[in-house]
Amino acid sequence: MNRRIPPRNRIIVKTVDTYALRVAAFLKSKGIEPTTEAVDKFINWRLSQDWTQYNQSAMDRIQVVKTQIDALPLSLPNAKKGVAYTASISIPTDLVDWYRIVGLEGSGMKISEVTDGSCEISGSPEIANDYTLLLEYHVAGDESADFYTRELHLAVNPDPRDLWKNIPTDPAIDYFKTDEDCDYVKVEANDGTPRKDIVAASKRGRSHAHEGRPRDDDFKICHNVDNGWYVLAVADGAGSARYSRQGSKIAVETASKFCTDALASQGEFENVITAYHAQPDDTTRKPVADMIYRIVGTAAFRANRAIRDFQEQNNKDCTPKDFSTTLLLAICKKFDFGWFVASFWVGDGAMAIYNADTQYLKVLGEPDGGEYAGQTRFLTMDSIFANPTDIMKRLRFSIEDDFSALMLMSDGVSDAKFETDANLNRIEKWNELWADINSSVNLIDDNENSKEELLNWLDFWSPGNHDDRTIAILY
Amino acid sequence: MRRLPVYILIDTSGSMNGEPIESVKVGLESMLSSLRNDPYALETVWISIITFDREARCILPLTALDELQLPQIDVPESGPTMTGAALSTLLDRVRHEVKLSNAEQKGDWMPLLFLLTDGKPSDTQLYNEMIPKIRQERFGGVIACAAGPKAKTEPLRQLTDNVYSLDTLDSAGFRKFFKWVSDTIGVGNRSVGATDELILPPPPEEVNMII
Repeated sequence: MNRRIPPRNRIIVKTVDTYALRVAAFLKSKGIEPTTEAVDKFINWRLSQDWTQYNQSAMDRIQVVKTQIDALPLSLPNAKKGVAYTASISIPTDLVDWYRIVGLEGSGMKISEVTDGSCEISGSPEIANDYTLLLEYHVAGDESADFYTRELHLAVNPDPRDLWKNIPTDPAIDYFKTDEDCDYVKVEANDGTPRKDIVAASKRGRSHAHEGRPRDDDFKICHNVDNGWYVLAVADGAGSARYSRQGSKIAVETASKFCTDALASQGEFENVITAYHAQPDDTTRKPVADMIYRIVGTAAFRANRAIRDFQEQNNKDCTPKDFSTTLLLAICKKFDFGWFVASFWVGDGAMAIYNADTQYLKVLGEPDGGEYAGQTRFLTMDSIFANPTDIMKRLRFSIEDDFSALMLMSDGVSDAKFETDANLNRIEKWNELWADINSSVNLIDDNENSKEELLNWLDFWSPGNHDDRTIAILY
Repeated sequence: MRRLPVYILIDTSGSMNGEPIESVKVGLESMLSSLRNDPYALETVWISIITFDREARCILPLTALDELQLPQIDVPESGPTMTGAALSTLLDRVRHEVKLSNAEQKGDWMPLLFLLTDGKPSDTQLYNEMIPKIRQERFGGVIACAAGPKAKTEPLRQLTDNVYSLDTLDSAGFRKFFKWVSDTIGVGNRSVGATDELILPPPPEEVNMII
């Protein structure tokens, strides 16, 4: 009878029979009648138990992998809008048999194919955003088609240039000042011989423009055609002082007016300068220094007093500190034997005589800086004028054959262009600055348009340097 | 490049476990995302985070805002609040990390310090030793926040005049606090100059002034 059964079926029947017979015998030993129905019921129950256990074990494994994936240190460095970015992601191939990353669509970045568990995010992000990417993966060895996810974060920082706002200053505020200003003092060529002119520009810093706050810097440039004296003044009102915009205005106006008036009737001053040039020694030097002290030093002191008087008359609830400002002041005149320059400097910024042809540089003092950024000394501090020796230290004079430029600038320009005090004494840095200015500003004799060009140049970009910028150039 | 260093000291003692620390994280995240949209902060702010429980740990060394990623903040289930140790760690780091001006480098802005605690210092002796040192150190501003009903304001008032309190340890409160921190960082950025004092923006309503 067995012979009529095909051999293939025989094995299955035999196997099932063996297990079924064992189940039947087992049921019988427990006193249960081993009907086909009872045997089938037991076998089905057993299979369903095994099936549950089998699934549980597979799920446990998936859970272990999920925990491992969640713990992977998959952090993506921050990107920056408009700046090329690459970052790689790597996931061990014994954990997953495939994965993909979704959520970068439309970001300007793309994801490479995964090779050996690794892929790369690259591209130039088009918008600033905090992206939440999804890592979708399939656990290695999982027989189901299910996949699992984990979040990845990718921060794309904005370009700071997009964030700056330019809010005009409210004209109704006390001591309103225009957000930018420029001026040109044209000293026309005399019988075909060019004579030096002065150009100056001042622009509100981005940090002020962002909040609609006024420009605190100021400047004043003038030339007396009758006696040939040039006067230049640049002042930087302290950002934290309430009325520093007015402080800087009073400072440049008072100091330059005092110098102009004093120099109008100073035959004696010119005599001592000539005498010093003829025979430069301590005896001829002293009268020059004393005259500078009386003219330039006093001009600065008058500016200090003018601010104090103004505050007492107009803002009794304030102190001169609320008008805090720096001051850079220079006077200059061409003599037969060369150029005479004298100056006074309190606060930060920069002031120097520079000759591009001879590579000559003379920095007219030292910036007052503290240990921390933003610390300086101000014209409005009475201690500046407490004793004559200290005042003398702030004064400089020299006689030069010629120069390319006498430059005065607020720290909005000097911090960005020189960074450190040591760099102020490096001719290369001045060469760079001079080349930079000349690439945008046409500094030829009697070019009044250069004032607008200089104003535009002040827009230069320098991260972290967004203070008001003012520069005055005698060239 | 002038940096504005910002040190954030966070209490991670046992009582902060659970919702409070999660709320702090949410607050920190929203602070970062708001600072990233402030152009001045984005270019100048550097942040460091120091946590303190039974010990003080710098979990984030001074890092530029644009590169910063919030680290994991772990809170043990119980244990003391070593605020003094945190201040000691802070001083070490400030002295190492904050750059002073000299001829060859531009100094940083004076650093800002924010201290957040929900209790009181367990290491009282060290804490008291640290108070004069912190006061002597040139911080642009020291702001302490006593969070929750158990926070003690007296020890904080010895440290700084800027002590504020949060009634609850929930995310709304912390979010407001960190919003205020980011506003302060913005203002601090711009105000350092003639005055050494930090000009604070008005605190949000949820943050109460201690009198």
